[in-house]
Amino acid sequence: MTDGPTPTERFIQGILPENPVYRQLLGLCATLAVTNGLKPAMTMAVAVGFVLLSANVIISLIRNLLKPHLRIVVFTLTIAAFVTIVDRFLGAYMYQMSKALGPYIPLIIVNCIIICRCEVCASRQSVFTAAADAVGQTIGFGLALASIAVIRELLGTGMLAGIQVLPAAWPSWVIMVLPPGAFLTFGLLLGLINWVDAVKSAKQGRKG
Amino acid sequence: MGYLVDIFLIAVGAALINNFVLYYFVGICPFIGVSRRVDMALGMGGAVTFVISIAAFLSWTLTTLVLMPGAPVTRWVAGFFMSADRAATVDLTILTYIVYIFVIASSVQFVEMYVRKFYPQLYKSFGVFLPLITTNCAILFACLVIMSHVVGVDNPAEAWGLGKSLVLGFFGGVGFTIAIVIMAGIREDLDLCDIPESFKGAAITLIIGGILAMAFMGFTGVDSGLRVALGGTP
Amino acid sequence: MEEILTDNTPVPSGRIRNSNLAQAWLVLVLALIIGAILAAVQVRLSPIIAANKLNETLEKVPELVLGAGSAATRPSGLEVDPGTVKIEKDGPDSFYSVFHVVSKGAPAGWVVKTVGQGYGDKIELLIGFNPDITAITGIFVLGQKETPGLGANIASLKWRQQFIGKATARPLSVVKGGASAPNEIDAITGATISSRSVVGLVNRTTKDLAGKLAPEIVRFSRQVKKND
Repeated sequence: MTDGPTPTERFIQGILPENPVYRQLLGLCATLAVTNGLKPAMTMAVAVGFVLLSANVIISLIRNLLKPHLRIVVFTLTIAAFVTIVDRFLGAYMYQMSKALGPYIPLIIVNCIIICRCEVCASRQSVFTAAADAVGQTIGFGLALASIAVIRELLGTGMLAGIQVLPAAWPSWVIMVLPPGAFLTFGLLLGLINWVDAVKSAKQGRKG
Repeated sequence: MGYLVDIFLIAVGAALINNFVLYYFVGICPFIGVSRRVDMALGMGGAVTFVISIAAFLSWTLTTLVLMPGAPVTRWVAGFFMSADRAATVDLTILTYIVYIFVIASSVQFVEMYVRKFYPQLYKSFGVFLPLITTNCAILFACLVIMSHVVGVDNPAEAWGLGKSLVLGFFGGVGFTIAIVIMAGIREDLDLCDIPESFKGAAITLIIGGILAMAFMGFTGVDSGLRVALGGTP
Repeated sequence: MEEILTDNTPVPSGRIRNSNLAQAWLVLVLALIIGAILAAVQVRLSPIIAANKLNETLEKVPELVLGAGSAATRPSGLEVDPGTVKIEKDGPDSFYSVFHVVSKGAPAGWVVKTVGQGYGDKIELLIGFNPDITAITGIFVLGQKETPGLGANIASLKWRQQFIGKATARPLSVVKGGASAPNEIDAITGATISSRSVVGLVNRTTKDLAGKLAPEIVRFSRQVKKND
């Protein structure tokens, strides 16, 4: 089992080919809930990234000591501890953001991305590979969140990260920053990406 | 009377107005994954409602008795090690997330074993979904909402008791069931529709979810009206 | 899942204890390490979080009591004492977080924190009063999740300014367009319920506190310096 993908492969896979949101459909709760603005979305991506990196490194360090049936307990304990640290850190140094994200920070504990990466990569491969995997997945997650957040914030308020971008005459589509906007934007983007893929593979099929 | 109105409004709020799935986005994974057939959706909804009620009970009990600052059990235990004044300030809230997730995981395990042993019929209808819902955000979310109404509330008269917490948990589960069953009903009919290839599966489910969320937005504000209708102050 | 369950099948009790402990050592060690880290985090960060929570209100106090311009000038000699007050009512007692404001030794007013149900979610409100609670000196919305672009306008300065100088003797009422009487507040277009929620909250708080709030009955969270 030690021979898995190399660190570079893991890193690249996380960003697009195995994007946690668009390809694996993981962590959707956070994806939909915090993308009403670019700032909360990026804070969430960094928070998830920190927890993922720490958990992956720790699990990878102790991977030879793990007993199969206690594995999940160890994963959960580690993840919950790091999420608590992130939550308190945000509360202390980014109070307004922590208030805005509310329960979605503790909900990182049940974000399937992290437990999935611990299971698939960290509990089997070396620390370096696990870290590369975590960084790759985080970038992938961050890109996915950003793609949704940019569309929602821009159309919903005419702003990006709180700065007015569209002319003030833009009639803000309030629905985009409300819950339905999250479902619609993500659903359409997901369909679009599937379509682009299908077109690409059809072209390749014709050539090959 | 006031208490009953509060309970009623919490129930309506959790099930319809601020629906767990369509307003708070928790429990999206099963909402997309297990909403292909109505009977499966009902089973999943039943399992979630069941576990969420148990988790609500346990998290409220543990938070008030052990975790919050000045909780009786903690004060009593700490009293053996330090002066009574200092024992009253012991604050274990930093452990809440860890405690909640383990409470959820272990109650799911116990419920599964119990139901499988004593109610094989019930197990057949929703037991298979039980292991899946440990990582269902809806359950942890209910625990967190209860925590926010128990810990650090300015007005002790407004802190939630066990009754309100149980109502929130149970009706949060009911709201989840409503959303997932509606979605399953739509998706059963969707099989007969001509959907673009790339939108099949998750994408179309999300778009329908968006339309459902829009419909559920119609419930916003109903609670203030209900409160006035039931004789309370707005 | 099957795997985990078969692990729980009965084994002779002596063996199960031994083997369970032997197997769980990693979890126990990990729990101890994590406990220590979390304790350190708690000791370092919880005072900062508590201070953040308090500062959020304290920052707004001068503006609410002395008027909007005062926030920029940072008035000197202003003392703010946070505390809680219990108001006895028929039914359950109400508790309020209050801030007693003393400017250059003389009482300047009160700021009261209050929470109520809005259109979407809870609304957290700060209300400023003059020293004898006969008039409102300002309101500020600390937290709200009303509809962006509509209900969320309760946080806008323009709407909040209507409350400045309102007498507390009569309850305020919401009117749609063209408030004329001294106790009337204009509703935000398209957000009557949000406007009503805020006004209802202000009315409830004034009714609870008018004529009852005095420094003597407040339990201040730190020792107040007496100016004689």
